[in-house]
Amino acid sequence: MSHTVKNYVDGEWVESGASDVFAVHDPATGELLANCPDSTREDVNTAVRSARAAFDEWRSTPVLVRAQYMHHFKVMVEDNFEKVSQIVVREHGKTMDEARGEVRRGIESIDFAMSVPVLMRSDGLEDISSGIDETTVRQPAGVFAAITPFNFPFMVPLWFLPTAITCGNTFILKPSPQTPLATEYLFEMLDELDLPEGVVNLVNGGVPSATALMEHPDVTGVSFVGSSPVAKIIYETCTRNGKRVQAQGGAKNYIAVMPDADIEASVKNILGAAYGCAGQRCLAAAVAVGVGDAYDQLKDELAKQVAALKVGYGLDETTQMGTVISDAAVNRIESMIGQSEGEGAEVVVDGRDFHVDGYENGSWVGPTLIADVQRNTVMATEEVFGPVLSLMQADDFEDAVDIINQSRYGNAASIFTSNGKYAREFKYSVNAGNIGVNIGVAAPSASFPFGGQKDSFFGDLHGQGMDSIEFYTERKIVIERWV
Amino acid sequence: MPSLNTFGAVFTFAIELETRLSAYYSYIGDAAMARAADKRRKKLERVRRENVVEITLEPITGLDADDYALDLNDRSAAGQAGAARIASQFYRDAAPKINVRAAQRALERSGREHGG
Repeated sequence: MSHTVKNYVDGEWVESGASDVFAVHDPATGELLANCPDSTREDVNTAVRSARAAFDEWRSTPVLVRAQYMHHFKVMVEDNFEKVSQIVVREHGKTMDEARGEVRRGIESIDFAMSVPVLMRSDGLEDISSGIDETTVRQPAGVFAAITPFNFPFMVPLWFLPTAITCGNTFILKPSPQTPLATEYLFEMLDELDLPEGVVNLVNGGVPSATALMEHPDVTGVSFVGSSPVAKIIYETCTRNGKRVQAQGGAKNYIAVMPDADIEASVKNILGAAYGCAGQRCLAAAVAVGVGDAYDQLKDELAKQVAALKVGYGLDETTQMGTVISDAAVNRIESMIGQSEGEGAEVVVDGRDFHVDGYENGSWVGPTLIADVQRNTVMATEEVFGPVLSLMQADDFEDAVDIINQSRYGNAASIFTSNGKYAREFKYSVNAGNIGVNIGVAAPSASFPFGGQKDSFFGDLHGQGMDSIEFYTERKIVIERWV
Repeated sequence: MPSLNTFGAVFTFAIELETRLSAYYSYIGDAAMARAADKRRKKLERVRRENVVEITLEPITGLDADDYALDLNDRSAAGQAGAARIASQFYRDAAPKINVRAAQRALERSGREHGG
């Protein structure tokens, strides 16, 4: 029997005052898993009051004690690893391996937060003038919020929450109303940690609660991951309200395949990059650019391997690709495939009208391969966020780089080559925040910032790595003389 | 689970194999072998948890669960040797299919412990 997800405020599970709910379905079976409240501005105000009230005591809690909470938190997540992974599969539709990979990446971020006692240290200089010393200290900055997407419901909140609170801030999470169950479980574990009331808070909902967070005067900063149009709105709203903001948007990630690449090995990796999480990730490979002779080889090998992918329910370990998030997503993706076909592209492997036996109510789009995609067409320019890989042909390396740099997005780009010169030139000249060399998914580990340029990122400091320490702290300069 | 075509499918098969072998060895009264199988199972669970790397997830081909069916009704010395031989063969075949070295090493070692 499904339940209505509660908010977690001031150390307690509380019901939202919302009258509206979002239905949360298992996208493979169609089963109703839960209802998610569309929390109100008053729900947000209560959470912010709690977080603000907790801040002064929490910031003065020794940083080593704050880090110890992360040690215990990590053990909890490890102990519940399979259970969390299964929740992610059920509410999102991805495969077990993908869900486990997501939980693992989340744990990496907890690991990173354990380094805060080292990373928050600052520097100083004696005798900047006679008998005068100058030092910098990093201090927590207040109440932070994160608005997180459906596609990595467990991992993305952990990009932010562990580092934010270990730096001494208090925190409010608003996850996607499409996938609130992994974060519900995340907060059940946080509740077990026995953090002081108000240090972490959960408000479920959609636009009203997100807007309330961005407009609340006691919220210092907001982190966001989602589509580019929304990221831009988040950035503009937060900056208008005087907040720090890091807003990671959408993507159109290109992969250049050089004639000197090992095509068979490259294709294996490109398959994971394009069809992993059914293409619903901001690092998904969207367009493979075959350079010169590589194009035909790439097309032939991809056609063979794409058609062989096993699509099914994620809890079946042998499933290689799961569902997309909803029927609305199916309709949008299928419409884009049709538009591409209308523009003259060749649908080599067609995932439209896809069905999986026993899962007739699922939101399925089969792995799709589209060839002969031209510049300025829908598949070359628009984010699909589904299991669709497009193929473009480039005359040479320079032409491939030109195609890639024409994109208004700049999240990630990769090159497959055995030639160091091409690899070096690619790293140097491609305008994307995450670059892969013989890696299709250029996903930075937690100690590096998650790059992103152009319409893929709005803000100054990225999520993860030292950027996150900068984002979650205020630097204070102390100049002192003792006589 | 006929085709072991993903990282998770390979490791889950190995974990289930060791679970069944532990029960088998317990039944025939070989406590040391049962403990060893339990230890391998725990190690494989940890390796599955810690080494599933999003950026290197790739389809796996050429590994079929039906090729490694154990006959655990045969409790004779020959039956025990046969079970160990099949387990060892599975690990030998599976290890090269895995593209994460730490995980590959765990499979290789499990194979050696079965006498392979």
